Amino acid sequence: MFDASAPPAPLSLFGVGLVLPSAAGPVEILRGVDFRVAPGERVAIVGPSGCGKSSLIAVAAGLERPTRGEVRLFGCDLSSLGEDGRARLRRGRVSLVFQAFHLLPNMTAEENVATPLEIAGEANARHTARAWLDRVGLSARTRHYPHQLSGGEQQRVALARALAARPELLFADEPTGNLDAVNAAGVADLMFELAREVGSAMVLVTHDPALAARAGRKVQMFDGRMVEPV
Amino acid sequence: MWLAVRLAAREFRGGLRGFRIFLACLALGVAAIAAAGSVADAFKAGLASQAREVLGGDLSVTVARRGFTPAEQAVFARLGAVTYAVSVEAMGEAPSGERHLVELRGVAGPYPLAGRVELSGGASLAEVLAARDGGAASAAVEPELLQRLHLRLGDRFLVGRTPLIARAVLRSEPDRLSRGFALGPRVLTTFAAVQSGGFLDGAVPFGETARIALPPGADLAVAKAKLRAGLAAVGSTGHWRIGDRNDAAPGLKRMIDELGYFLGFIGLASLVAGGLGVQGAVAAHLDARKTSIATLKALGADSALPRNMFLIQIFVLALLGVAIGLAVGADTPLMLGGLIRRDLPVPAVFALYPAPLVRAAAFGLLSAAAFALAPLGRARSTPPAALFRHELSARPSFGPEVIGSALAACGLIALTVVTAPTPLAAAAMTAGVVAAFVGLWLLGLAAAHIAGGLRSRSRGVARIGVANLAGPGSAARTAAPAIGLGVALLSAVVLIQSSLLAQVSRIAPRTAPSMVFTGIPSDRGGAFDSEIATAMGGAPSPHAYLRAPFFSGRIVAVRGQPVERLRIEPDARWAFDRDLNMSVLGPEPLNAGVVRGHWWPAAYAGPPLAALSADIARGAGIRPGDEITLEVLGRRIDAKVAVVRRVDFAAFGASFPIVLDPAALAGADLRSVAIARASPAQEQQITAALGRDFPEVNVISVREALEEAAQIFDRLTVAIRAAAAVAALAGLLVLAGAIAARAQARAREATILKVLGATRAQILAAYAIEYGAVGLLAGIAGVALGCMAAWPVVVKVFEATWSLDWSGVATLVIAACLLATLGGVIAAAVALGRRPAPVLRTE
Repeated sequence: MFDASAPPAPLSLFGVGLVLPSAAGPVEILRGVDFRVAPGERVAIVGPSGCGKSSLIAVAAGLERPTRGEVRLFGCDLSSLGEDGRARLRRGRVSLVFQAFHLLPNMTAEENVATPLEIAGEANARHTARAWLDRVGLSARTRHYPHQLSGGEQQRVALARALAARPELLFADEPTGNLDAVNAAGVADLMFELAREVGSAMVLVTHDPALAARAGRKVQMFDGRMVEPV
Repeated sequence: MWLAVRLAAREFRGGLRGFRIFLACLALGVAAIAAAGSVADAFKAGLASQAREVLGGDLSVTVARRGFTPAEQAVFARLGAVTYAVSVEAMGEAPSGERHLVELRGVAGPYPLAGRVELSGGASLAEVLAARDGGAASAAVEPELLQRLHLRLGDRFLVGRTPLIARAVLRSEPDRLSRGFALGPRVLTTFAAVQSGGFLDGAVPFGETARIALPPGADLAVAKAKLRAGLAAVGSTGHWRIGDRNDAAPGLKRMIDELGYFLGFIGLASLVAGGLGVQGAVAAHLDARKTSIATLKALGADSALPRNMFLIQIFVLALLGVAIGLAVGADTPLMLGGLIRRDLPVPAVFALYPAPLVRAAAFGLLSAAAFALAPLGRARSTPPAALFRHELSARPSFGPEVIGSALAACGLIALTVVTAPTPLAAAAMTAGVVAAFVGLWLLGLAAAHIAGGLRSRSRGVARIGVANLAGPGSAARTAAPAIGLGVALLSAVVLIQSSLLAQVSRIAPRTAPSMVFTGIPSDRGGAFDSEIATAMGGAPSPHAYLRAPFFSGRIVAVRGQPVERLRIEPDARWAFDRDLNMSVLGPEPLNAGVVRGHWWPAAYAGPPLAALSADIARGAGIRPGDEITLEVLGRRIDAKVAVVRRVDFAAFGASFPIVLDPAALAGADLRSVAIARASPAQEQQITAALGRDFPEVNVISVREALEEAAQIFDRLTVAIRAAAAVAALAGLLVLAGAIAARAQARAREATILKVLGATRAQILAAYAIEYGAVGLLAGIAGVALGCMAAWPVVVKVFEATWSLDWSGVATLVIAACLLATLGGVIAAAVALGRRPAPVLRTE
């Protein structure tokens, strides 16, 4: 049972379902997921490929509309918001890190980190961006474009971009999935350290048991359903 | 090779989705060239099929300033059936006193020998002309005369002092196209009526034409030779001009050729503009197939196999694009022809003409090769390592593809020049288009570079737009040159048209006379001046009225050499092939424009001196002091050139190409011409007053002539504007291609921006900034290039005053900017319409 007098949880999902169309007919990706993340909590979601982990992040972050159920970010029902409303809600409070990095290819590392800050209206965006690139060990790469950086470096830029706005909630979808072991360990260390420093709650999707073990709570997903705890 | 063919066939299983812009760019240019060529051939075939009607017979002989002698008429009669026609300009006058200049034409014999005169309100022409009523001959008149003089059929009116009755409305004459423009409505009557009106007494200039219909089966060349020999045998003097049905309207045929080529050239320019779309489509296709190419190489294929595979695919697609273009280009004139055939002023036979289609296909294939071959080099140079490192990209390298591309470009230029009616002008136009294209391309590179510099000064959404402009897929490098070329062509046409329209509607009415009077009797010059002064309410200043003696004659020798043996520049040839307007003047006139030499004293009485137009002097290398021999009033005069002067035929002044000193023609009975600047109210008063006291004087309203010229010009430019719009459309297609090529990247970018908290409006604004900047750049550069192309045409070719149509220019720049912005907004809307999650998953 949730305590109504407590501050709103960063993320709450109630009976969320997601059905997506496909060439072979509709596919039920999520089948009534209930899930809650407390402030500052770090939760790892594990499960086999295709069980709906990434779709859960897309729905939870407001990138995808659920077919049924309710998603609340910071107590706000996402179904009451349009696309722009959801973007404004995320702005400065929610960040995402992806397996494929998803940096803007025409922008330098510094510009990539500065862009969300500028969108949020921060005056010293570039200064902050440089400071965060320094924090992730890339002070010498600020003017490099994504294609001029290694995979590990790109993910560190993505981490700096995600955390520069000091979000209350960080979603990380297989953040080390495209990296070698050494880079993966470095990025994971950095991510947990910075998230703790910023005080962000974290929802981490991963196949890596070691990485999942570093989260405070671990939940298992199977065939679009959540089995909690593991 | 068969392996490459098999692999290419498999590639087609993916469909043509990525090649829509490729096909559209190619088909559009080919269709424009094919349509322009087909229309020109349809008109030429139309003229050829009605050559006898257009000439009015098989042979024609024209003489100026005299009629045919009985001996000459006997020569004609021996060849076949003959009709005679004479035409003069004279004043028509209604019983109400309203007057207007008309072209009075009298015909004799079985007119017309070929084709038929179309009348309404009367029976056949023979019946109409045979009717007489109380000494008044009958006439068929153009509806414009009935309208201007408020006449009805059956009413009497005067032409000069000759009474005529309007019996029928003249709709068309078969030989009108071979006769050119008329200054006033046409009045067709009998030869005898014109003769009895005193028009052929030599007092006013006239020309007579005999048209001959040969018996069936007669050989045209033999008959023409017999005609020449016969005229020589009877000692025919003077200058006669012989025409035949194979060259019925040479000027018109030349104009059709040149207009057709010009329209086709604009189509070619649209192929060049669309070339960037072709190039972009091929490059994007190869980029999308990078993994397939790398896989083929990893499986053991040599570099040539993937290149050949895509070469075959592109060749097949180019054939398809050309075929679509040919089908549209050949069908459009067929369909339009059916709709507008009746309204056409020139006969046309709309059909399938192979020659322009073959030409258009050759242009299409060469342009496809010129633009598509170079990017194909990427298929050869893509490394198999691209399988492992996706960021590895093939750079276009120098190789057989680049050489092939350069050869195709040279072939395209050569074909453009060789197929032109005037290769020198075509070479200049081609050089202009190539220079403009290279200039625009360099400008696009510079804009991308500048955007790179600006990105550090911008922030937020503005920087997203600026960064994309500076980035690898920048539309500044692809769409800007294509749109710029389209805008350049369109603006050149708009600027030429607006300058010339301004010339006839604003500048000419200010600088040129508003009225011209011809045929003022020599002994009543003073009385005429007084009449004008009275009608204008006071003696006019020399800036508002000028009268001068007038006669015509021709230059027959220069420095003792007959003109036939002289080397004359082509642009001055006209002055030595025909009669020129001449005058005699004592004192130096206002705005004489003397370039070389000195005007003779007012009371000069020595050997004949002449003032010559600078254009004519330059054309034959004549300098002050040289002797020219003139044939005027039936005699030869050797005159020393005293003055070379600039004659502005559009200005108010003594604009005669040749002026002699008064003593040179002392005693000759010279009629005068006069020019005046008058308000519309004064024009009416003058016309009415002259009707009473000077009915023989012709009054020409320059204002009306200018209005008609503006209308004709306006109609002519519709076709040219349409062709230029095709080039602009090609530019937009390239823009669409550039947008389509980056659609996937845009969707991903828009999704990331949304993830980072950007709203839809911010993303739309970013793309609007990017594409708006491309449109603005292309619009401004295009208009600047259009000005550079239009200025020499207006000032040097048409010798008109350059005036910049600011509203037209602004409209083009704004339209280019808005359309490009719209493209950006559509691109953003499409990208925003994609669901974010799948886009983020595909990497």
